[in-house]
Amino acid sequence: MISVVAQYKLDVRCEDDVVVVRRKARQLAQLRRLDPFATAAITTAVSELSRNVLVHGRGGIALLEEVSDGTRYGIRATFEDQGPGIDNLERALAGGYSTTRTMGLGLSGSRRLVDRFDIQTTVGKGTMIRVEKWQSA
Amino acid sequence: MHTRYMRILKFDELELASRRAFFCVSDADLQRLAGLRPFAERHTKEVVDAFYELLLGHPETAKFFPDELAVKHVKKLQSEYFLQLFEGRCDLQYVENRLRVGAAHERIGLSPQWYLGAYRRYLEVLRGCLFADYGPAEAVAHLESITRLVFFDMSVAIDTYIAANVDTIGRHQLAIRELSTPVIRVHERILLMPLVGTIDSMRANQIMDTLLLRVVEEQARHVIVDIAGVPVVDTKVADSLIKTTAAVRMLGTQVIVTGISAPIARTLVQLGVDVSTMHTRARLQEGIELALEMSGKTIVDRARVGS
Repeated sequence: MISVVAQYKLDVRCEDDVVVVRRKARQLAQLRRLDPFATAAITTAVSELSRNVLVHGRGGIALLEEVSDGTRYGIRATFEDQGPGIDNLERALAGGYSTTRTMGLGLSGSRRLVDRFDIQTTVGKGTMIRVEKWQSA
Repeated sequence: MHTRYMRILKFDELELASRRAFFCVSDADLQRLAGLRPFAERHTKEVVDAFYELLLGHPETAKFFPDELAVKHVKKLQSEYFLQLFEGRCDLQYVENRLRVGAAHERIGLSPQWYLGAYRRYLEVLRGCLFADYGPAEAVAHLESITRLVFFDMSVAIDTYIAANVDTIGRHQLAIRELSTPVIRVHERILLMPLVGTIDSMRANQIMDTLLLRVVEEQARHVIVDIAGVPVVDTKVADSLIKTTAAVRMLGTQVIVTGISAPIARTLVQLGVDVSTMHTRARLQEGIELALEMSGKTIVDRARVGS
């Protein structure tokens, strides 16, 4: 049973917001004593996914949560946008494909960086991505 | 300063017309105000005195008027300011005048709250004078015209404060941008660019431009880019490093990226970023050694050579 200890809702409307969300994620990871590797992983994933919200989703929100399963702490980050959605999710998750002439590794890379990765996307409606990174056992 | 603010605010004939329309400052209002000029002249002293009574009665604003002479001086300016309301004009020159006053307030650090509060007092005293000199219906009509121009004035004054802040932020950004991409010559034909802080799109471009220019200028063979001070190396940062490396390479110069911590190395591999096109080293010192080695030089420990 996972409980939410605290949550922070942040807007993602411009590039500066991406920095704010990412800094908050790092701060929470350090507060909840994730090791340096896990901290770098969740911070980088949050950076990628919040930039996705901005670039592909035309802005949206990021919800950062400190979570606990009773024995360990973790950081959960949820990103929501009302953008165009992802029409070929398989291709986007495989990596190396980009619609904006960048590396195309944001989504696939983030998925490898975290312990849990959920995505819901509807073409024309938007995208919701939720990731979790936990203290190592 | 105020002309610069006019530019920042893009205050031109078009803006003036739309703002006058929004604040309902019509030509009839201006005519009415011009007609009130004798009334205004009669009451200038009363209004201005009441105005400074309020300002001098509060420590937050009293500190701006250290002595009698200062008070006398600002009262004179204030009287002119007051009478300008009754000149029957509201053109660009009028706005410029108002901006000048706003800029002066901003310069001495008088914040908008005191300005707005003091203007309220202005209106209060004026209302009393109007109802004393005119019948109720006429006084109300006069007051309405005055209120329109006064609110127009306040909008310009608030804009001045905003323009001043925009101006300050712009200057700071420029300063930060210049500070944020230093290129240091560490040895003959070896350059070092230490990166510190967040790398956004604008900075990524600036890093590339600065580096390319300096490489050509210094005829550098090796460039060390130290990223120890970059908090997060995500695909965006990695992408800009890879592109910068490719561009610098076209000039025949090698890039060595240093300051890569263990968590960053692991994160980049998990992200799937291919850094095989770049020379990388964990520490700056190793990067310098590599650059020297590649240019056929070594650092020698003299004590050890002697023994």
